[in-house]
Amino acid sequence: MPIPGIPVLEGKYFATMDFYPIEAPEFNRISKFYENLAQKKLTTTKCKKCGTTPFPPRVVCPECNSDELEWVELADHGKVLNLSEEVAGVPLGFEAPLIHAIIDLGNGLRMLSRIVNCPAGQLKEGDEVKLFVFSIPPMIMDIKEGTKESPRVFFAFEPVKK
Amino acid sequence: MSERQVCMIGGGMSQWGRRSASLVDVVQEAAKACFDDIPGIKRKDIDGFLFASSYCGRNPFQVNAAPVMAERIGIKPLNMCSRVDTLCAGGSSAIILAAGLVKAGMADVVAVAGGEKLYTPQMWEAYYSEMASIDHDWDAPHGMGLPGPFFAMTAKDHMKRYGTKKEHLALVSVKARRAAAVNPKAQFQKEVTLEEVMKARPIVPPLTLFDCCPITDGASMTILTTPDRAKAFSNHPLVYIRGTAQATRHSMSANWPGEDLADWVHMRTAVKRAYEVARVKASDIDVAQTHDCFTISELIEAEELGFCKKGEGGPFIAAGQTDIGGRIPINTDGGLLGVGHPFGGTGIRQGMEIMKQLQGRATRQVKGAKIGLTHNLSGLNVEHTVLVYGLEP
Ligand SMILES: [Zn+2]
Repeated sequence: MPIPGIPVLEGKYFATMDFYPIEAPEFNRISKFYENLAQKKLTTTKCKKCGTTPFPPRVVCPECNSDELEWVELADHGKVLNLSEEVAGVPLGFEAPLIHAIIDLGNGLRMLSRIVNCPAGQLKEGDEVKLFVFSIPPMIMDIKEGTKESPRVFFAFEPVKK
Repeated sequence: MSERQVCMIGGGMSQWGRRSASLVDVVQEAAKACFDDIPGIKRKDIDGFLFASSYCGRNPFQVNAAPVMAERIGIKPLNMCSRVDTLCAGGSSAIILAAGLVKAGMADVVAVAGGEKLYTPQMWEAYYSEMASIDHDWDAPHGMGLPGPFFAMTAKDHMKRYGTKKEHLALVSVKARRAAAVNPKAQFQKEVTLEEVMKARPIVPPLTLFDCCPITDGASMTILTTPDRAKAFSNHPLVYIRGTAQATRHSMSANWPGEDLADWVHMRTAVKRAYEVARVKASDIDVAQTHDCFTISELIEAEELGFCKKGEGGPFIAAGQTDIGGRIPINTDGGLLGVGHPFGGTGIRQGMEIMKQLQGRATRQVKGAKIGLTHNLSGLNVEHTVLVYGLEP
């Protein structure tokens, strides 16, 4: 008799334990964000009716209720407003010190982001940082004949070399 | 016909800390302590039940947990039986909802329980699961789980703008541990000195070990009812819920509403609204339980509640104004820093401490306290919840 439980999950993809988004177009209506990100472009949606440009992207304008939205590009450079270096309690898969910063991307957008490719103790307020896009583990999803791997990307920021 | 009023009549909690016990175990312990506290009430008197828990869906992998808890406690509610999740404010949300049910006449005697089992057999899972507590698709992928980094940056902004010192933060922790040392249900039973706090190991500078509330297993339970039923159940003075508010205006960190991270504009919205509904002002509050998830939080909360001027939280605390005998005693039972923080259980613990203060039976009693309040923030500082309690409705 097979014994169900944790062992039967071996090799399965745990969507419920994944802190990355499910990016595949079969699972959300903003997959264009991730397609653009793979092209190293940080984008969001802009309302064609009233011009509202919220972040993160939407499928309905939160201001005027229109669903006619278009994709627009955001800045890929910004300035560090504040930062922290976490040395304890870092989540599994991340290395200490885990660096976070609030980045001024202009037009009133202040983004919290992980900072990568940066040695400990080096980053300072006012430093210039730029978008860094990287591959993350693919999502394994059911298809008619078994499963397929759906590639994924995510972003962080990295210091601009002086 | 005048509006129905609602009272908190008693309550209790399990031992909080790193427990060799499951979620249903600590909820039963809390229910026992609650019924022991109100001998006049029987399990069959309960006609409504709310259970505040966020991580029951993760560990023990149990959603729709309210019927599970009701059955284990041995109550058979017939008007309401539901789970509430606003993370750190879950217990306070459940109290607000229970008060609404009683005021509306949709239930008469509502038990409000809350708690979490956060320690898992492998510790990595406890930290990892924390990434479910913030905006999933946008903040969690940056490795933002336990919100230490966000509050470290908050502390840096407050220090830069107002000259707040690391010592000011440390004094919040020293005060919390002093209170927890005489609270037998608290996670930490030992006082700490200013020197120990200042020399503690860093978590995310400037925050060190004692600046951060711990991971906690535990539960609490209280009972809300009408003044008439309250008088039949208990001889303690009636404690009314005078006014409440819960305000949010963003979720993802990119939409933070303040000028900088030390500017908690959404908290001011909740405070103003709760004071309005309760017909009180800051100077009327005799005792407060605020959300000291980090030491910097309590400092800023004292400002945003109007107990001191914006920016003066540090000197206010250093002058002993938030201690018993000061202008406004805060976190008299030890707070999150001393008692611990099993998310859904916290708002109920805070409410029960205020209730005991107003009934004159707190362990560390604030003399003559008539009006008290509780406050929670949730998640990556995205929501603020305030309840005002009083001896008058
Ligand atoms: Zn619009």
